[in-house]
Amino acid sequence: MSDLVAWDKTISDVNEGILVGLKKPHPAFYVALSISIVCMLLGAVCWGILITYGMGMAGLNNPVYWGVLITDFVFWVGIGHAGTLISAILFLFRAKWRNSINRSAEAMTVFAVITAGLFPLIHVGRVWVAAYWMLPLPNTHNIWVNFRSPLMWDVFAISTYLTVSLLFWYMGLVPDLASMRDRVKGFKRIVFNFMSFGWTGSLRQWHHYETGYGFLAALATPLVLSVHSIVSWDFAMSMQPGWHTTIFPPYFVAGAILSGCAMVYSLVLPLRWMFHLEGFIRKEHLEALIKLTLLTSTIVAYAYGVEFFVAWYSGNEYEWAIFQKRAAGPYAFYFWVMVACNCVFPLLFWSRRLRTNPTVCFIVCLLVNVGMWFERYNIIISSLVEDFLPSAWGHYEPTWIEMGITLGSFGWFFTWLLIFCRFFPLVSMSELKLIMPKPLRRKAGGH
Amino acid sequence: MGTPTTDELEKLEKQSLVEAPHEDFERPAESFVPGPYYAAAEEVLAELEEGVPAHVAGVKASSKGLDFSVDRRDFMRLFTVATAATAAACVRRPVEKAVPYVHQPIDQLPGVPTFYSSTCGSCAASCGIVVKTREGRPIKLEGNPEHPVNQGALCGLGQAQLQALYHPERLKAPMQRHGQRLDPIQWDDVYNILGEAVKKTQKIGIFTGGTTGHRHEFFREALERLGAPKTALYTWEPNSLWSSTARAHEIAFGKAVIPRVDIKHADLLVGIGSDCLEVGFSPVAAAKSLSAFRAYYNGKTGRFVQFETNLSMTGSNADKRWVIAPGSEMQVALLLVRALYENASSNKSGLARKIAESLLRKHQAELDRAYGTLNIPKAEFEALAAEMLQGGAALLVGGSSMFSQDATKLQLVGILGNLLIGSYEKFLFIDRGWMKPPVISGDLERFLADAPQLDIIFVIDSDPVFTVPPSWGLRAALEKIPTVVSIQAFPADTDRLAHFALPAHHALESWGDEEPVEGFWSIRQPVIRPTTDSRQAEDMLLWILATSGKNLPYADYHAYLYKKWEVVQQFTGNLSVVYDMFFKAVLRRGFIGKLMVQSLSAQLKNFAAELQELRVMPTGLQLLSPLDHRFHDGRGAHLPVLQETGDAVTTVTWDTWAAINPNTMTKLGLKRNQLVVLSTAAGKLTVPVYPLPGLHPDVIVCPRGNGRDDERSTISYNAGLNPLVLFPKAQDPLSKEPVTAGEAVQLTATAEWFRLAALQKHHDIANRKDIVKKIDLPSLKHAKKKNLDQVPDLFPKLEESEYRWGMAIDLDKCTGCGACVAACSIENNVPQVGREQVILGREMTWIRIDRYFYGDVNSPEVSFQPVNCQHCNHAPCEAVCPVFATTHDPEGLNAMTYNRCVGTRYCANACPYKVRRFNWWTHKWGDMGKRAQDRNPRAMNPDVTVRTRGVMEKCSLCVGRLRDAKHVAKETGRKIPDGGVQTACQQTCPSNAIVFGDLHDTESRVSRARQDPRAYLMLGGDPENGHYGLKTLPNVSYLSEVVRYGSHQPEHGQPHNQ
Repeated sequence: MSDLVAWDKTISDVNEGILVGLKKPHPAFYVALSISIVCMLLGAVCWGILITYGMGMAGLNNPVYWGVLITDFVFWVGIGHAGTLISAILFLFRAKWRNSINRSAEAMTVFAVITAGLFPLIHVGRVWVAAYWMLPLPNTHNIWVNFRSPLMWDVFAISTYLTVSLLFWYMGLVPDLASMRDRVKGFKRIVFNFMSFGWTGSLRQWHHYETGYGFLAALATPLVLSVHSIVSWDFAMSMQPGWHTTIFPPYFVAGAILSGCAMVYSLVLPLRWMFHLEGFIRKEHLEALIKLTLLTSTIVAYAYGVEFFVAWYSGNEYEWAIFQKRAAGPYAFYFWVMVACNCVFPLLFWSRRLRTNPTVCFIVCLLVNVGMWFERYNIIISSLVEDFLPSAWGHYEPTWIEMGITLGSFGWFFTWLLIFCRFFPLVSMSELKLIMPKPLRRKAGGH
Repeated sequence: MGTPTTDELEKLEKQSLVEAPHEDFERPAESFVPGPYYAAAEEVLAELEEGVPAHVAGVKASSKGLDFSVDRRDFMRLFTVATAATAAACVRRPVEKAVPYVHQPIDQLPGVPTFYSSTCGSCAASCGIVVKTREGRPIKLEGNPEHPVNQGALCGLGQAQLQALYHPERLKAPMQRHGQRLDPIQWDDVYNILGEAVKKTQKIGIFTGGTTGHRHEFFREALERLGAPKTALYTWEPNSLWSSTARAHEIAFGKAVIPRVDIKHADLLVGIGSDCLEVGFSPVAAAKSLSAFRAYYNGKTGRFVQFETNLSMTGSNADKRWVIAPGSEMQVALLLVRALYENASSNKSGLARKIAESLLRKHQAELDRAYGTLNIPKAEFEALAAEMLQGGAALLVGGSSMFSQDATKLQLVGILGNLLIGSYEKFLFIDRGWMKPPVISGDLERFLADAPQLDIIFVIDSDPVFTVPPSWGLRAALEKIPTVVSIQAFPADTDRLAHFALPAHHALESWGDEEPVEGFWSIRQPVIRPTTDSRQAEDMLLWILATSGKNLPYADYHAYLYKKWEVVQQFTGNLSVVYDMFFKAVLRRGFIGKLMVQSLSAQLKNFAAELQELRVMPTGLQLLSPLDHRFHDGRGAHLPVLQETGDAVTTVTWDTWAAINPNTMTKLGLKRNQLVVLSTAAGKLTVPVYPLPGLHPDVIVCPRGNGRDDERSTISYNAGLNPLVLFPKAQDPLSKEPVTAGEAVQLTATAEWFRLAALQKHHDIANRKDIVKKIDLPSLKHAKKKNLDQVPDLFPKLEESEYRWGMAIDLDKCTGCGACVAACSIENNVPQVGREQVILGREMTWIRIDRYFYGDVNSPEVSFQPVNCQHCNHAPCEAVCPVFATTHDPEGLNAMTYNRCVGTRYCANACPYKVRRFNWWTHKWGDMGKRAQDRNPRAMNPDVTVRTRGVMEKCSLCVGRLRDAKHVAKETGRKIPDGGVQTACQQTCPSNAIVFGDLHDTESRVSRARQDPRAYLMLGGDPENGHYGLKTLPNVSYLSEVVRYGSHQPEHGQPHNQ
């Protein structure tokens, strides 16, 4: 892949180009950061209200016990998927184009998972006890958590994933931190020295680094598949029609990768501009990302189809009723938005012209993100509103509290991400150097 | 320092009492710890007088129900979470001091309930009750199992009397009017002013509600002593069935009696507009009797056929239901009489036949036409008549609300019909143990005529301003009376016109008696010291008499009753005991009686003359305003538990609706919840519409009961509307009672909407066969016993212990009345949430009654299905809880550990029955009344944990009662016998639809019900054909409904119509 990239920079430009960009981001960066912080504070206020007055402030009710907050949870976990996929799986497959975007993908993963981790807490009725009762801590009550509960599996799946992602991300940062250390003096130097664990770039260190990185990548790979499978079990393990189906794990993983790739694209494009990284994240890299998006979009479309087929083929009247209502019931709007955003709009990417047009790609990627949010909303709400007993059927409308928290979660995510971008290189300098042309190569055009 | 002095000790003790419980983290200790309550009399008094706790009284909540002030506790929560959202928050509960009794009352053991028998005062049916009190406070009302009227059951209204007792809106002190305002006044001043007033005039009247006991006699005695005529006592009951039936029997037999209906042994019951299960004479007695009547036994079962124009709860329970045009009840009754008369096997006895003959001859032409207008062929009547004459049958005509001016005439035709079938003295008793009418027909009109001459009127425990149609001019009549004294236990609309509003005792605080059946006496005794500064109404009169110098020779009403009951002792023949012992024995038992015999049925008079003129029914849209089955005329409208039980047929809570046939609505272009203006000659009313299948296309049903306009009630304020404004003054010429039906009405649609708070948002069963099952009689005869527990199963065997609790709910018996919902809510401290929250779907009831319609919109089948936690053996909820807050109990219960619950709500999602309830809010322990979700701490059952917000809850099968029973069993060294423990819903069910017990005991009633050929598990598939449905294996089983007419083919989905 790297052969096809039309580089206009060489590895000697890397450190200079990337680190200088850090110093003077585009003013839009500060606007974006301020908006993010405001959104985050708004979300915090909404959460505060939720805690003060009770879950009743959300639009939840008797049949619909889970709503937008769980939608957000699954959405953010899904977003957190592409990072590891891009950094670990593509690393193992030696897809070199990943080297220019893996850092941003990993950062996105870490912050998305941290964001996702907030939602189980936001959504429980008694957050002040949930935090410690959900963790299997030794305690004097001699009570233990229920390992049969998919929610418990979630706790482990997500905390493992977060740990491994953090390690992987930080490990990749170490050589870059050392490069940064070399450019500063005084206190900053001490800090960066500490953070880079005294990295000197010796051959021996590189040798260990490469081995370790490879192992971590191998370790992280199954997690890509496991985390969202386990999240999908939150639904699939219950009896609820519309949830209780075996297709959920692969379907959720595909959906997660789709949303993750789309999210990486929609993040990288503006960040590339803010931090003047056009020379390092090339359009060919972005196109590769779009191709991955297209692939996962078709997998997701297939999953939607199979899901309907299975519901019909099962002969289970409750299951089939839910699916009929998804497509034609009171929540059909959400369903068709989901289909349009996740399956129809990405079809534009079959055209090379559109695929390489950043504006089109950016808009479609945003739409895919909307679509993926609606997919989770659709799965959760439309299955809950009308299940087994018609007498218990209900209705759900999110309140401004829930929407405020959703907005707040974006604020929270972007605040961390933007702060990260401001202080650390958004592109992995050390890895970029592996794929960029060496300055010598320009001279003679031969060996 | 030496030892502290006595004063210092006392001071210390007081301090600890006052100061200890204010460090609240979860909830104030003052309401929770049994100690401080009755430490000393002074404390009790302080507590009783305080009424509204000061810290709560200050909190104002908007009608939206939210109060955005942050109190200390909320701040704590915010603070904890904000500082460490993911970290542990750990706050130590404050040390609470439990103070033991200083002088323990000899009959009170802390933690041990005391039971008193008494008589329910909520309607004239006079059910016997047993009041469970704990530490001096009533916490639950139950039917007295030995009382023959209700046989242990109690309706929702009776259950809700507990909320009524502690109702915060009861007057705290006597009030005197100054202009627009009612101001508190001292009791002494009341007596002095009124004593002076009665000295000056003899034009005094008493207006009171219906009763069968000594109360009316006492009032007459008091009136006489005051110099007023005895006839100055006016009685009024909005349930006009009493007066129309009494009047009809007076015309037919010469004595105003009410037949005691007992159809246990009948084969067929035919109702024409009957609402015996909703209000009738005694809904509980009717349901008990109907339940036995319909029990399937040995291939035999009673059948119930109903002709009606609206879809009443009673009609919903009919096996065959004919929808007739509004006002055509009379025609149907006459056609039925004709068919009976023409049938050769009908009663040959002379006079009844003669009356029928002349009647039918007179109306022959009309009746011949009626088959066409009713759209019921003659053959149907003939077949029904033949069926009625084959076995034992009874005919019940008319409801608690007059169908037209001919209501009493309809009763006469009903009497005729019953005479032709010969059902008197078989199912309707007027010779042996007849019922006494609680009111005198025509008193209302007499009062209106006499009112201009009256100087003083005492309105006692009756709210005529609300319950009489305004067109009758009662308001104006009261306004002209110089002194109106309103003596009420609850806020009443009449208080607005009163010069004195005096708080009367609630029935649970007062003395009284009732004689529902002639010769059968039921006594009422106070079970708590008065909770407010109220007085017994009779005692007030005694005091007024005393201050005016015209004493009656009784110290109080208790003394009066004590004297009167000497006669009862003689009459019942218990002369071998000392009178005092007799009286106390009666108090213990609650009732005493003797079967009275007369020969009234032989004194039939020819009443054909009364039926010469019959009213011609108008056509077009007509309005009907029946009494609400939950709170009758509105006497229970201020009780949140009743409001939230929901109307049985529409499931609407908190509101008044205009029910219209869906086809008519389509024709008129109306949508659900659209506001329409109903206008009649008398007035206008803007009501939201509710599409109700099964109504006649020409009828609009707008129930009475809501829409009170007293100044004080915040609970019933804004809840619904009063449809009585729509009725011009129309009366039944025979009984002289107001008519609240058959008014021609104009309907104008508006573009506005009002969302009715219906508990159920979907009404059709969506063709699902796994929920309510039905079986027809031929299939039932060949059906085999079931074994619901024999299911192939890969799960590890459950741990089991001595008992395995189970419940069986008989859908064939359930009438949908909602008494179980009220009983459960009161037993288990279930909060009411208010209208807005019901609309959101956040009701908290642990048991709900699902109502489904099937088939044709014009004549649907209706099913009621009580659904509580099914206590699954493979509970989907248990596996998914991450913190083990819900677990399986070795006794088969699906148990909740509230303090483990963090509120992930996964269990509720997983529950296929959707019976779990989440505490979306803190249902405050403030004073009930500010908001519906506020609860009165005194009415709480101390045996049941009160749940805080963020916690899941659900039916526990009354685990508190199980623990009590096991404790007793352990002490006596036995197992709990079958029936030794009853759940609250089972205990109160008027139709015995719920059976509870030990499933290990193969002979227990619940085990037998689980093996019954009709038994099935909800969502349990078709086990006989190897389909096990969801395989949740509930311990709650259902018994399918019996289709008594025609056949039922479940495989076709569309159930047989009618």
